[in-house]
Amino acid sequence: MLIYTFRRLAEMILTLFIIATATFFLLAAVPGDPISDRVEKLPTQIRHNMYAKYGLNKPLLQRYVITMKGLAVGNFGESIIYPGQTVQSILHDKLPASARLGIQQMVLGITIGLGLGIIAAMKKNTWIDYSIITAAILLISIPHLIFGLLLQKMFAGNLGWFPVIGWPKGKDLWTGGWEYTILPTLTGCFAYIASYTRLLKTSMLDVVNQDYILTAESKGISKARVVLKHVLRNSMIPIITNLPMSIAMCITGSFFIERIFSIPGIGMYYVTSVNGRDLPLIMGQTVIISAIYVTVIFITDVLYTIVDPRIQIQGGRK
Amino acid sequence: MLWIQECANEGGITITQLLEVTNLSVSYHTYAGEVQSVRGISFDVKEGETLAIVGESGCGKSVTARSIMGLIKPPIGEIKLSSEIRYRGKNILTFTSKEWAYYRGGESSIIFQDALTALNPTMTIGDQITENIFAHEKISKKAAVERATGLLEQVGIPDASKKLKSYPHQLSGGMRQRVMIAIAFACNPKLLIADEPTTALDVTIQAQILDMIRSLQVKKNTSVMLITHDLGIVANIASRVIIMYSGRIVERGSSDDIFYHPKHPYTIALLRAIPKLTDKSKEKLYSIEGRPPDLLDPPKGCPFAARCPYCMNVCVEANPESFDFGLGHTASCWLHHSQAPKVEWSI
Amino acid sequence: MELTKISFKKYNGKRLNAEELSGYSATYWKDVWRRLMVNPTAMLSLAALVIIIILVIIGPLISGHDISSINPRRANLNPSLENWFGTDNLGRDLFTRVWYGARASIIVALVCTLIQTVTGCLYGGVMAYFGGWVDEVLMRIIEVMTSMPTLLITILTMMVLGNGMVALLVAMSVTSWCGTARLIRGQVMQLREAEYVLAAVALGASPFWVILKHLIPNTFGLLMLTIATSIPDYIFTEAGLSFLGIGLQPPNTSLGVLISIGQQTMDFFPIQLLVPGLILCTIVLAFNLLGDGLRDALDPRMRQ
Repeated sequence: MLIYTFRRLAEMILTLFIIATATFFLLAAVPGDPISDRVEKLPTQIRHNMYAKYGLNKPLLQRYVITMKGLAVGNFGESIIYPGQTVQSILHDKLPASARLGIQQMVLGITIGLGLGIIAAMKKNTWIDYSIITAAILLISIPHLIFGLLLQKMFAGNLGWFPVIGWPKGKDLWTGGWEYTILPTLTGCFAYIASYTRLLKTSMLDVVNQDYILTAESKGISKARVVLKHVLRNSMIPIITNLPMSIAMCITGSFFIERIFSIPGIGMYYVTSVNGRDLPLIMGQTVIISAIYVTVIFITDVLYTIVDPRIQIQGGRK
Repeated sequence: MLWIQECANEGGITITQLLEVTNLSVSYHTYAGEVQSVRGISFDVKEGETLAIVGESGCGKSVTARSIMGLIKPPIGEIKLSSEIRYRGKNILTFTSKEWAYYRGGESSIIFQDALTALNPTMTIGDQITENIFAHEKISKKAAVERATGLLEQVGIPDASKKLKSYPHQLSGGMRQRVMIAIAFACNPKLLIADEPTTALDVTIQAQILDMIRSLQVKKNTSVMLITHDLGIVANIASRVIIMYSGRIVERGSSDDIFYHPKHPYTIALLRAIPKLTDKSKEKLYSIEGRPPDLLDPPKGCPFAARCPYCMNVCVEANPESFDFGLGHTASCWLHHSQAPKVEWSI
Repeated sequence: MELTKISFKKYNGKRLNAEELSGYSATYWKDVWRRLMVNPTAMLSLAALVIIIILVIIGPLISGHDISSINPRRANLNPSLENWFGTDNLGRDLFTRVWYGARASIIVALVCTLIQTVTGCLYGGVMAYFGGWVDEVLMRIIEVMTSMPTLLITILTMMVLGNGMVALLVAMSVTSWCGTARLIRGQVMQLREAEYVLAAVALGASPFWVILKHLIPNTFGLLMLTIATSIPDYIFTEAGLSFLGIGLQPPNTSLGVLISIGQQTMDFFPIQLLVPGLILCTIVLAFNLLGDGLRDALDPRMRQ
């Protein structure tokens, strides 16, 4: 287990290194340079100082080495569009909002989704099942951005029940200002409800057809116990496999939701930094988001071995 | 569930009929239509005896087994209303969920063909055995574990207390089937249904498993319903044999009747298909030409007519009645009608 | 029934074999098609898709308006007989523009799906065919590519390549083929180890031929499913990128472009957001329902 963890950690670091390198050279290939627009009208001397400040006067490989050295110690450099702020301080400011939004929508969405999935599977081929599944397909056919805009217009704009934009700050950062978080959370959670409902239903029906369910039933244990101990546990295996996809969905969703509701989170700033060609900020955010994602993949693999004893971690990859 | 105990204690009267199946019909509803898997069969299982049900795959023998365990699931599976399955005199098809809980696992239990798929892959075998015990008895965890260890020892698993903590995939095929048997016998059931218990196993292990079932059966006075496609393994075990073909019983009788005085062409064909060590001729292994009829649209005559070497005009027109040869030996074949020509056959 | 002497004469008539008796024997594909045909939702969505595709082709022609003629005096009109879906802030006919936009979105989605399928099949095929270290290296590449959220890669690629159509196509399919490649690899590997394939090879069939003969029918269904679920994903992503200001930009038109224009005037003229939004949802819904029906048809266990 320990050896496995170390090996996976080494792999994760290698993966992140490759991602950082690829991102660096990809960004280096962007035509033009990030500050030319900004410094055009400035005097030559100041312009030179600006280039020197961001190291843009140095050759490519040297810049690469400096960037990677910085990444290794958690120094991502200074932002271009937010002068005077380091990338890590921006990330430190913006991450909590995104994290809270992500956690809220995932907890709500996955809970409701799994619940509906169980109901749909238990009431298979009844109108309850059909309406749940139809609703799920309807929901995944509405993109975040349209859903968010509609909710915003109806409940914040027309009805005025919630603030149109904004996000709790300061002491409310994690546990207060719920009225701000309700609409964004709802916008995000529907995608989870839809995908988890369908996933769990499919997985449960698959398990219900297995012989060991017949064995369990023939033991005379209660129906509830059959579902809880035998069906659900085995149905969870594909659900866990889906975890990285959920995180990806959360990141993707944050790009849209944060923009619609003007939430000062990583998703919104990523787009801003891409549009502003803020290379250090893009670099930092890409690495951080990928690091989170890679960690989730690792956690998934470990969870996998816990739920399914057939998977053995000594054996390495599945 | 008191009725079961009452019946058992009915003032000295021994009830020999443990299970009576009457006119059992089971259908499966598929896209293509209604598949009539079992078409009105009747039989009984006596206390302590071994009854073998033999037939090729798709003849309805497993469906019969599942019906007796209440494992036919509507709306796909349907047990027809005219069917009756009486366990100690009470129709199990009208059981309440409480009665089912008492009956399944406690009074009757089942072993499936492939223990790898029949055991829960994410649960230790210890938990799977004690689960059955907890469902039927108020017992401490420690006592249940002790009993599970004892059961594993009885079915011949070495190092039993350690093995309780392993998962099914960590055991060999033979070991897994032993675990299945331990689960089945955990609450000393009166009726054990063994649905092809040895089909997935090596020949050498087959014999061990059958011997073990046999010895546990004697020790615990359990009735066994052995379901198999292999007439060869039946001879030494079963006291009575039922031959099924496309959802119907075609012949029934004592083991001797079936092996030495078969009356149905299908039984004879099955017997011929058993390879014999003594057979010195260089003939090919006997096989029955053709395939069983499609149960989506069963033929109106004898189901075996299309493959029968003695097929007569009446055979394709009407399903044969059952002809009685005494002492419970019957066969459904028109050849035994008084007007039919006499046919000589050898096995 | 009356039994006569003749009843007990040997039967000389035709004896029906099981196969002939059944009257029901269909190939797998016929069966899949039949199951799809009896699924009303799948058929309804197929019909909806056909109608949408017809409208996408002829829609801009039948409105009597041109896509780009600006008429400031007729700006922001509500739907009328003259302009069926109203007009936008420059007085352009929304009906014409919406179908133009849908055309672009669908074409983008189809081309990306094509790139994804072809690249995925080739890559997966190479992995499985060569095996060994080639497989190992190619698999590592996929692992690195998939250890980054897709949208990030897409956005970064768009940044490098600019906002054009080609850039969009490349950016959206840059990682999507990984899944298809894994699918194909898995299928080929599974087939290589399948006993019937081993048997066929032992009997002298060329392994390449065997794989080709069994791979295509076995994988075709799964591939169809991937395609049916990929198309709505691409339509979503395209719309999303335009909305974020990273994808196609005016004067190009797509559903995403129209939605992001509509969003700016949403408070005053909600129709300009609703119409492209609704059409986008309908297309995606139809593809999703069709994909769902296809899944059920390919795997009858799920419904029984």
